[in-house]
Amino acid sequence: MKYIDDPHKLQIEIIKKTYLISLLPVISSLIAGEYDITLGFVFGLLIATLLLRLKYNNIIRALSLEEESAEKFIRNRYFLEYALYFLVMFTAARHANLNFLAAAVGLFMIKFTVIMWSIIDLLKDTFQRQIDEYK
Amino acid sequence: MIDFSPEVATTVINTASYIAAGSAMIAGMGPGIGMGFAAGKATSAVRRQPEARGPIITTMLLGQVISASTGIYSLVIAIFLIYGI
Repeated sequence: MKYIDDPHKLQIEIIKKTYLISLLPVISSLIAGEYDITLGFVFGLLIATLLLRLKYNNIIRALSLEEESAEKFIRNRYFLEYALYFLVMFTAARHANLNFLAAAVGLFMIKFTVIMWSIIDLLKDTFQRQIDEYK
Repeated sequence: MIDFSPEVATTVINTASYIAAGSAMIAGMGPGIGMGFAAGKATSAVRRQPEARGPIITTMLLGQVISASTGIYSLVIAIFLIYGI
């Protein structure tokens, strides 16, 4: 991840990896016949993907502004995103066909992927350094 | 020991849940302030070094994605407290 300097490419990589990891819970909940979990998870995941795109667009727009206005712009947009998160969770909590916890986990999947990816990179670097030292 | 009727106990528990949910929502403000601060600094960094635009956006995107999670945690806790799911 740290070797990707192009933000657009990074975004696509994050989305690809997230969907790949998400296949496991989706398929296992489908096999178990828990369709509300599948629906909730997919709902949360789709909204998280769209919010990542929105965040990227906001960042690009903020970089063309002055420092203070960029600060205000990103802060205001964060609260709008927060309202969207609330709407998603509220819908999942009120709707019987959507599992609330699965929707929350779906929203968190992108963050889990980024953290996991960073940990894997860190471990790879550590092992590589140890191998180089051994050589 | 004072014995409360079930209605009083339920009211007290509900009130405490709503107060706790409101307090949990305070945690949602922190990431917004931090993200705004980071965005301001990133803007000035891009002005100083336009050639580093790509890595700056990449770092900022990852940072913002991760920092938003604390706000969502608080939202999940608040909704849990309100609806008792």
